Amino acid sequence: MTKLRVAPGPAGEAEFETKPLRINVGPQHPSTHGVLRLVVDLDGEVIKRLSPHIGYLHTGFEKTMEHRTYQQGVTYSNRMDYLHGFAHDLAYVLSVEKLLDAKVPERAQRIRVILTELNRIASHLMFFGTGILDMGALTPFFYTMREREKLLDLFELVCGVRMNYGYFRIGGLAYDLPEEFIPATRAFIAEFPAMLKQYAALFAKNDIFLSRTRGVGVISQETALAYSLTGPSLRASGVPLDHRKANPYSGYQDYDFAVPSANSGDVYARFMVRFTEMTESLKIVEQALDRLTPGPINDPNRRISLPPRSELETSMEAVIFHFKLVTEGFHPPRSEVYVPTESARGELGYYIVSDGGSMPYRVKVRVPSLANLQALEPACLDGLFADMVMNIASLDPVLGDVDK
Amino acid sequence: MSAVALIQALGSKLIDQPQGYPAVALNPAQLPDAARLAKEHGFMIMDVFGIDWLTYPGHRGKRFTVSYNLYHLETNSRLFLRVALNDGETVPSVTGVWPGANFLEREVYDMFGIKFSGHPDLRKLLTPDELDGHPLRKDFPLGETPTLFNEGRFLDPTAFRAGLIGKDVGLTGFRGGARKGVKSRD
Repeated sequence: MTKLRVAPGPAGEAEFETKPLRINVGPQHPSTHGVLRLVVDLDGEVIKRLSPHIGYLHTGFEKTMEHRTYQQGVTYSNRMDYLHGFAHDLAYVLSVEKLLDAKVPERAQRIRVILTELNRIASHLMFFGTGILDMGALTPFFYTMREREKLLDLFELVCGVRMNYGYFRIGGLAYDLPEEFIPATRAFIAEFPAMLKQYAALFAKNDIFLSRTRGVGVISQETALAYSLTGPSLRASGVPLDHRKANPYSGYQDYDFAVPSANSGDVYARFMVRFTEMTESLKIVEQALDRLTPGPINDPNRRISLPPRSELETSMEAVIFHFKLVTEGFHPPRSEVYVPTESARGELGYYIVSDGGSMPYRVKVRVPSLANLQALEPACLDGLFADMVMNIASLDPVLGDVDK
Repeated sequence: MSAVALIQALGSKLIDQPQGYPAVALNPAQLPDAARLAKEHGFMIMDVFGIDWLTYPGHRGKRFTVSYNLYHLETNSRLFLRVALNDGETVPSVTGVWPGANFLEREVYDMFGIKFSGHPDLRKLLTPDELDGHPLRKDFPLGETPTLFNEGRFLDPTAFRAGLIGKDVGLTGFRGGARKGVKSRD
């Protein structure tokens, strides 16, 4: 094994050989961002092999969704990636809408984009807070949580909950936005750029941050593509793939925003790409708010959307449609669909097989975190053990998303 | 090279997917060559997943499909390679072509029991080691039905709850598993 030399001290200069050592990290460990277990082979302090053991949060969402109606699937989708739940809801409803050929009104699409992008900011804020916490800096955590709290308050205004939203419906939304939402969001947009400056002052030029992240955990472009890395981590390795630009959905083609990318592929790049992304998301929210016009929020097709409450008292037909939708749901034609979307972690899509019944025959979720986690080994190899923690943080896995 | 051009190069027939992306049907033996060709043309692998057709109304043919979700960066095109197989048949692993297929194939093995020959580390990925069976198969019991673990141990939720409240049967008697509201056309 490697020969290590110890600097001269009172006992004189010493030289000794390292022994290979296998250690276990997790599953309950503060730096693993959930329930992740890693078995690491070390030579001295250098990582020679790393193997993630996952499945501690496996909940069988795919199997459960096969036994629930399409509409009920919204309850499960956002519970996978609990930090960017709106993205999962959006990906799921988009797939089912493609299956049904539903026409989603413009207002509903804009509201979906606003909430998904605000949620992306909240997710990235969590990433920064916990990521820098892993480095040993406690302060930024409180700053980022302060803004995330404001965003969760906005979500609470809309859906009554701070996580596990379930606000999107197939063909539209559950109900319209509350009146207070738009002024509250505008207030957030007005104050957030100043907060971003505060964060930048806290860590972007900090010596400890730079020395812990620059040149650490480099994932080359070839490795990133070979290991199916997607999302901000792929963009940090020099591949500007963003499905909001490449395969626009929900009207993303109407908004003017940039896709930040970097070439170095190290932990620093992965942090900075996400940092810039928050500004871009804010731009999208602002544009979507400007273009938000009053209008319907659901597909008028009665075979997909519930009739308005007022009609239930006067129209027998409305009662029938309501009864059929609530008890049985709709029957999409036999087909298979997949709609790729961009979550805060990468490519997210629901592959749905319909057998003509009221429940999906098969739901397969392409979760970004699972594939991204595979890039952990090449990122950590021949690096220091202490940097492994930074590598986990910079790949931003959500273990609910990994294990489904 | 776009997905359609690759399909022509593979000399396979295109599957009709009215609302989906182009897909190619392959034999398990054709898969390694197809994967290598796709990789040479710049496709990256996004996902590998299985489908169990056991209870699909009117399905004829092999029981499982393993589908490979490929994506091409430059042309923004997507292609699905689909391999049909029966229970007990194996698929050649594509981990040699795309190392990122490692976890994805392990997930399919775990959920469907489909073996990938040549996979470097074919272990279960998500379910506990002692769980007997493959949960996403259509004949795997759902929810409140007793679940068989190794060595004949059963986990019976109804009996478990009945024991908690001091009765010998559960409160609801719901056994789960029925696909309510399914309207078959056949």
